[in-house]
Amino acid sequence: MKKFIVIINLLLILILILSGCNNTQTGQISIAEQYGLAYAPIQIMKEKGFLKAYDPDLDVKWKQLGNTVAIREAMLAGNVDIGFMAIPPFLIGRDKGMKWKIINGLNISPLGLVTYKENVDSIDDITVEDRIALPQPGSIQHILLAMACEKRFSNASKFDDILVTMAHPDGMNALLSRKEITAHFTSPPYIFEELAVGNIHQILSGKEAMGGEFTFIIGVGTEKFHDNNPENYQIFVKSLHDAIEFIKQNPEEAAKILANKYEISEEKILKYITWPGMKYTSSIKGVEQFIDFMQKTGYINLKYNDISEISWGEETHDGQ
Amino acid sequence: MMDNKYLQKMIWFFLLAAAWELIALSGWFSPLIFPSVETILRTLYSSIISGELLQQVIFSLSLISQGLIISLLLAFIMSLLSLTSNTIAGLIDTLVAMAHPLPGIALMPLVLIWFGAGRSAIIIIIVHSVIWPLVLNLITGFRSIPQIYRLVGKNYGLNTVEIMWNIMAPASLPYFLAGFKIGWARAWRALISAEMLFGAAGSFGGLGWYIFKKRVFFDIPGVFAGIVVIIIIGVLVEDLIFDKIEKMTVKKWGMQT
Repeated sequence: MKKFIVIINLLLILILILSGCNNTQTGQISIAEQYGLAYAPIQIMKEKGFLKAYDPDLDVKWKQLGNTVAIREAMLAGNVDIGFMAIPPFLIGRDKGMKWKIINGLNISPLGLVTYKENVDSIDDITVEDRIALPQPGSIQHILLAMACEKRFSNASKFDDILVTMAHPDGMNALLSRKEITAHFTSPPYIFEELAVGNIHQILSGKEAMGGEFTFIIGVGTEKFHDNNPENYQIFVKSLHDAIEFIKQNPEEAAKILANKYEISEEKILKYITWPGMKYTSSIKGVEQFIDFMQKTGYINLKYNDISEISWGEETHDGQ
Repeated sequence: MMDNKYLQKMIWFFLLAAAWELIALSGWFSPLIFPSVETILRTLYSSIISGELLQQVIFSLSLISQGLIISLLLAFIMSLLSLTSNTIAGLIDTLVAMAHPLPGIALMPLVLIWFGAGRSAIIIIIVHSVIWPLVLNLITGFRSIPQIYRLVGKNYGLNTVEIMWNIMAPASLPYFLAGFKIGWARAWRALISAEMLFGAAGSFGGLGWYIFKKRVFFDIPGVFAGIVVIIIIGVLVEDLIFDKIEKMTVKKWGMQT
């Protein structure tokens, strides 16, 4: 019994220590930083110091995290106030009880399924022998592929048995090595780089799968941050709009800043951020379509009466 | 004695579960972070009932046994070779020194490019994790055998193979078993991390894939359920297989108490 009490005490101490170390205070904002063209506005916001322009005393904490899932976990743990991800992972989290909402969109982007197999011209030609690399089940790439399968074959999970989970760079390497992976569902810049290689061609675009335009990356904030730090929240929203506007107005200068950060040539970045179909915009498109599809196929049970329950909708109606 | 050991383990296990449950019930943490024991068990139960988990356990265990068998064969060949000549011994020592501290995870990007993301890649990672500690232990085991044992064998007129089988193998068994235990633990870790990183080719996934999938769909009780299964298998292998083998061999022969 004595031992038991000692252990319980140790556990209690541990809990107290753990619970004390992840609270964001007022005057602070913690943002998950990610690399990639889709996240360009965040990089611009950071480099141009847009947040500090509104409040020089604001304590901005940038956190580097590997992927959407890690960001979701960090936000759950209270280490990160604001993160960026595609709509489906946001919905899965919301459905499972994450207290977070959409702030606004970052961009609309070409996504697509590409292959090097010459005799494959559409998803009809994909067989059980093929292997499709994509980031993870439940990712936007996976859901878009499932949407296309639902439309074409009335079977959303038709390709689920030939999927291979791979981060974008790994997926690209695997596709280019032409071994096991025969197709890759990916996003810029990987899709641009792959399509630049001979014989690799696109057989499905995200737009076709969805049947319209949709926002690729959205900004997501915890309700706790929104409710407890309304001023910082507003500063963030304004800065994000500034950053998006900056990329639209000064793509050359934006490319210069990003080239330094990403160590890719300025020309290439400029080409990529002005690629047809790449739009930096705060508008949020496609949320309802994703929800409808993911409910129908059982990925989520999310129920909501009004979109405001899951989104603060801070979009500027700029007509893109 | 034996009952006592199991009883003790059970009591500890129960106490830890109770402490867990208390914390979960206290409401200090969101149930998303700290699910209660019964939610974990319920998730575990439904995964077992659906057949999903069982299939994945079998898949994982079959990969691990393939990896272990390949490593055993290779390790035996390498350590026997190293006994035959000093040059080979030098080479193998260098290989062990280079590869032993290298985590399998560090090799993953290369393995992925060279072998693709299928079963073979996971088996290669397992073999890499197991083979070096095994070789190290086997060589130490062989070297620790006093010269006099072999001479006795020669006196009896045994040939090299007979000496290896009848004298060297049993005499180095404690080292081999120790190496094998380390190898098993490392194989198990390598397997789970490889599966979590490579994912799986659709329906063919193991326990690591189970956890990964639960993670991406934000099913935290499911993540815990996977961990519980890993713990159970680890304890069972240790208590049932290794304990038995030790009792039947080295302990029976009086080499280890």
